[in-house]
Amino acid sequence: MTNEAEPVIEVEHLTKRYGELLAVDGISFTVRKGEVFAFLGPNGAGKTTTVEIIETIRSSTSGSVRLLGMDVTKRKRDIVPRIGVLPQGFSSFDRITVRETLQYYSRLFCRRETDIDGLIELVNLKDKSREQYKNLSGGLKQRLGIAIALVNDPEVVFLDEPTTGLDPAARREVWNVLLGLKEKGKTIFLTTHYMEEAELLADAVAIISKGKIIAMDSPRELIEGNARYLLLTLQAIDEKVFEIVRNMGFEPIHDNHKNIKVRVAQTDDVLKILNGLKDEGASFLNLDVRKPNLEEVFLQLTGEALQENLAEREAK
Amino acid sequence: MSPRIISANLVVKLRSFYRERTTMFFTLAFPIILILVFGTIFMSQDNVGYHLCVQDLDQTTSSAQSIKTLEVNGEFKITRVDPAVNATQYVRDNKVNLVLVIPQGYERSLLRRMKHNDLKASVTITYIYDPSSSSVTTKMQILDAVLAGINQGMSGKPPFLKSVGSSILTKKYRFIEFFVPGIIAMSVMTLSLFSTVDSDTELRQKGVIRKLSTTPITRTDWILASILYQFILAVISTIVMLLVSYAVFDVNLHIDAWLPAFILLDVFAFVGIGMILTRFVREAQSAAAAGNSISFPMMFLSGSFFPIELMPGFLQKFARILPLYYVNEGLRAAMVFTDNLAALKDSAVIGVFAAVVFILGIIATKWEESA
Repeated sequence: MTNEAEPVIEVEHLTKRYGELLAVDGISFTVRKGEVFAFLGPNGAGKTTTVEIIETIRSSTSGSVRLLGMDVTKRKRDIVPRIGVLPQGFSSFDRITVRETLQYYSRLFCRRETDIDGLIELVNLKDKSREQYKNLSGGLKQRLGIAIALVNDPEVVFLDEPTTGLDPAARREVWNVLLGLKEKGKTIFLTTHYMEEAELLADAVAIISKGKIIAMDSPRELIEGNARYLLLTLQAIDEKVFEIVRNMGFEPIHDNHKNIKVRVAQTDDVLKILNGLKDEGASFLNLDVRKPNLEEVFLQLTGEALQENLAEREAK
Repeated sequence: MSPRIISANLVVKLRSFYRERTTMFFTLAFPIILILVFGTIFMSQDNVGYHLCVQDLDQTTSSAQSIKTLEVNGEFKITRVDPAVNATQYVRDNKVNLVLVIPQGYERSLLRRMKHNDLKASVTITYIYDPSSSSVTTKMQILDAVLAGINQGMSGKPPFLKSVGSSILTKKYRFIEFFVPGIIAMSVMTLSLFSTVDSDTELRQKGVIRKLSTTPITRTDWILASILYQFILAVISTIVMLLVSYAVFDVNLHIDAWLPAFILLDVFAFVGIGMILTRFVREAQSAAAAGNSISFPMMFLSGSFFPIELMPGFLQKFARILPLYYVNEGLRAAMVFTDNLAALKDSAVIGVFAAVVFILGIIATKWEESA
């Protein structure tokens, strides 16, 4: 995505205060047409508050938000028909079928030409089109929620935590739908606390922590710019491996599966560690050396949430 | 306001109602059960006289004639008690509330009075009764009236004071005819109140309202769709209640434009109250408690089940500030008394109330996230 594309979301010095709590602290960013913009942060970082202000369903304390060139506080009626929203924890009417639900939302937007069959196909719910909402699994419900967000053929789609609470298979199904939307060139504003999701889908990522944006760039640039190290993972059966590595001057940590993770500056350091282990007679089952991903960047920038995300990823 | 959006919501609400079979059954069946149960009780009271046990210790032609008089004049169904048994024990053993005992020497005393004009000759009829019975007092009053009539007849002089009943109604009505309008008012109230509180609280809690707030639907569209939905359900429920009442009890009720008018006002008033409650009820579990706190006092104190005249004075005053009282009175004025002026007055009171709470309900309804 080039910077020449026209801006569709312009947020400047946005602040939201709940009593003493400063939920959003003077953030500014721009999302351009056709871009998939991921708003990344742990629970409680201010993601949903920010996105709900942009979606016109929550008011700000100060700052300005323009969506499709319009002030969100003054032009809600003009904005709403041009955006699609999957709110966090989306739910619908229990006894209404998939097809009826899409027809209902289409009528709310007073649209006669909505391609209901096309939407059902897009989110891969053809077999479930006559199923009532209450009988759908979590993943199917989220896919229906995405289809609902598209009934008015919106220019901007907001997806607030679209895969939270889903099992790994259902999450991948939703990602496939989102990749399809990306191919169609939709502008997508995605909030998530899954780094993998942002890395897979986003053209641009803003990392928010405690109400402030602490980094913003493309996933590649964020990784290149913030994590100039390699990550060595050792699957060890020998207790002394951890001590040997630490005694060599590195800072190993255990992950949730008792693997040892070590940040190293260059490939020579990997060789140094392996030689050291060999000299001490320590053994290990497996090793992995890779560049860091967004998760490690996030850890480095915020010092939080790594364990939660690691645990979730390992659970897959 | 968009008719297309309102009709879309109406369709979703009606479909949900139709597919929620348990809710649908109880919504329609509950008032029917009330009508059948209370109707049967009231019908038996209307049609059947009191049961009376009589122990004739005199066993003469005169005492038998007196029993016949009681049977005819008091409209009693007589059961004769063996003179050999203890009447008090009989009351206890047979769970009857009263045994009338004609003493020995009844005929002898009667002859002394009638033939020899002996004014000292008299007979004491004894009521052996169970004071815990709620109907025994009425039974004793009827017996006293019958005995007074016999005494009057024996005096040989025509009574000076006579009475004749003149009903305010042009036709003879039974209690069921008064009861059915009250049940219609009450069931429309519970339907409107609970549907609004339960449904809106659940949809808010589940996040459906938040999703809707990102679409072009407005608060006005949503509320008007709710009103229309409640009105349709109320009309269906009323039709079913009336059909059952006509079929089972052959009720004699006047149906005209007042009926849908009062149903609509009932719906507006209690959807309005429901909307106000929904503003303060956070969870679906609390919704039922909140609805009950409003509906129960209305149900029992506003004259739906029994006339408020049976209640103590302070409760009667309280009843007159309850909105359901005016729906009850208005429906009875229209359906039983065919009194248009009274119906108009009641509709004005409930109309003003409905307008006020409905406006407050609209103000209280939270659509966008205001925080």
